[in-house]
Amino acid sequence: MSVGFIGAGQLAHALVKGFAAAGVIATQRIMASSPDTDLPTVAGLRRMGANLTTSNKEVVNNSDVLFLAVKPHIIPFVLDEIGPDIEDRHLIVSCAAGVTISSIEKKLLQYRPCPKVMRCMTNTPVVVREGATVYATGTHAQVEDGKLLEQLMASVGFCTEVEEDLIDAVTGLSGSGPAYAFTALDALADGGVKMGLPRRLAVRLGAQALLGAAKMLLDSELHPGQLKDNVCSPGGATIHALHVMESGGFRSLLINAVEASCIRTRELQFLADQEKISPAAIKKTTLDKVLQQGSPVNTDRPDIQTSSR
Amino acid sequence: MGVNLTTSNKEVVQNSDVLFLAVKPHIIPFVLDEIGPDIEDRHLIVSCAAGVTISSIEKKLLQYRQSPKVMRCMTNTPVVVREGATVYATGTHAEVEDGRLLEQLMASVGYCTEVEEDLIDAVTGLSGSGPAYAFTAVEALADGGVKMGLPRRLAVRLGAQALLGAAKMLLESDMHPGQLKDNVCSPGGATIHALHVMESGGFRSLLINAVEASCIRTRELQFLADQEKISPAAIKKTTLDKVLQQPGVGTGVGVRSGISLFNNNHPRNKK
Repeated sequence: MSVGFIGAGQLAHALVKGFAAAGVIATQRIMASSPDTDLPTVAGLRRMGANLTTSNKEVVNNSDVLFLAVKPHIIPFVLDEIGPDIEDRHLIVSCAAGVTISSIEKKLLQYRPCPKVMRCMTNTPVVVREGATVYATGTHAQVEDGKLLEQLMASVGFCTEVEEDLIDAVTGLSGSGPAYAFTALDALADGGVKMGLPRRLAVRLGAQALLGAAKMLLDSELHPGQLKDNVCSPGGATIHALHVMESGGFRSLLINAVEASCIRTRELQFLADQEKISPAAIKKTTLDKVLQQGSPVNTDRPDIQTSSR
Repeated sequence: MGVNLTTSNKEVVQNSDVLFLAVKPHIIPFVLDEIGPDIEDRHLIVSCAAGVTISSIEKKLLQYRQSPKVMRCMTNTPVVVREGATVYATGTHAEVEDGRLLEQLMASVGYCTEVEEDLIDAVTGLSGSGPAYAFTAVEALADGGVKMGLPRRLAVRLGAQALLGAAKMLLESDMHPGQLKDNVCSPGGATIHALHVMESGGFRSLLINAVEASCIRTRELQFLADQEKISPAAIKKTTLDKVLQQPGVGTGVGVRSGISLFNNNHPRNKK
């Protein structure tokens, strides 16, 4: 089985690194495409032994499971380019936030009767095999396709199937979640440094405390509130700290964050469903490189209307 | 788990080589007076009590032995899943091998490193209390997920997994947390929108405040402990009675108004 990535950015790099560490697939059987060969992630993928190309078509021809790992607004453009090259064997897995299965199927149905499409939302900790992934199954994908994807993604963290209409909320929570954690860890370390700790020790202790607490929660049947109670001794240091956090509306900020990320994801989905790519969204140099590959993309102005044939 | 249990502190002392003091800080002086006469040369006393200094413990034990081996550590509850964060400081009479022994024990359940004793209060504020900050955060993240339509169990699972994965990435990377954050914020994307609302609410500042508040409270507890008095209000009469009934516990250990446990007139003072 071969795995291909359209796009060689952060997501492709993280997934390939995780898959390689898990030993679930050999990197020689992985190919990724990118018009920009200067990206640091491209160099990283090469170092890991993955095959790199500037041709999306070449990736399609060399893979069975095809991950779409480009930004959401590029997806329709890519689908029009690779549509004619999709075969029955291909399982298309879109990782693009806010891009619906139906929008992908609609495009690909112009080229094949039964395109097998799945949609997933993962996150960057797949790179250390502690990712959080959910996926939804499209109209023509079979149960075995879901099992195959789950096998791949479970090798790099938690993976479960969900109803597609939950994926935006998952984006807000575990898709964006690592950024909330990195911000928190930076701030916790600042707190430690303020109270006298050297920076490296502060970062180490903060990260270890979060990791340990998260693991306790995952391994326990107890409610997070109960676990919190268990570490707050009467009149102690911890309950004093929690009070100042609550006074500042700490919990509310995190609810706001999940909501804001989810709402933005839905906005991106809406924009993608418009099915027009403004010329402003793609660099001319990138477009030129793609056109040189020989794809049948209609570039009449004023809009690059990619849903027409 | 197969551990031996007893109501007698003395029995624990007699049956151990490494002795952890795992009681609340205000109980420590009381315990030290009770077990002081039973400490032998072999004993390594490890205090886990927040805010209780090595010198206060050594001062007490010096009434009973010349060179009590004392260490102080600050750990946290994720030791239970072997992902704890522990620091320790070494007392006057403890040797390098004693430090290695403690480190071997504590490193089996997580991260462990030696520090200067005067950093321990700050460590308490950060990794001692840290798990509580994390549990609160996961509960709030799960609330956010539920608000946007996720079932509760899935929301808790995804929130905890996201925190765990991010923490692991940081521990295994040489990159600055800010760089790791940048790497997950795609232009105009969902994540940077979320970060903006967090920053608008002073999210980072709340966590700095928390570490500071916990550290300051730890120093307050240390100060109170150094007063060397236990108010009768701090110990239940029934608990005290049970202790006094133990064989070998002197009746001089009593709770009158303003009991001073560093009173040189203590009947068991060998000086």
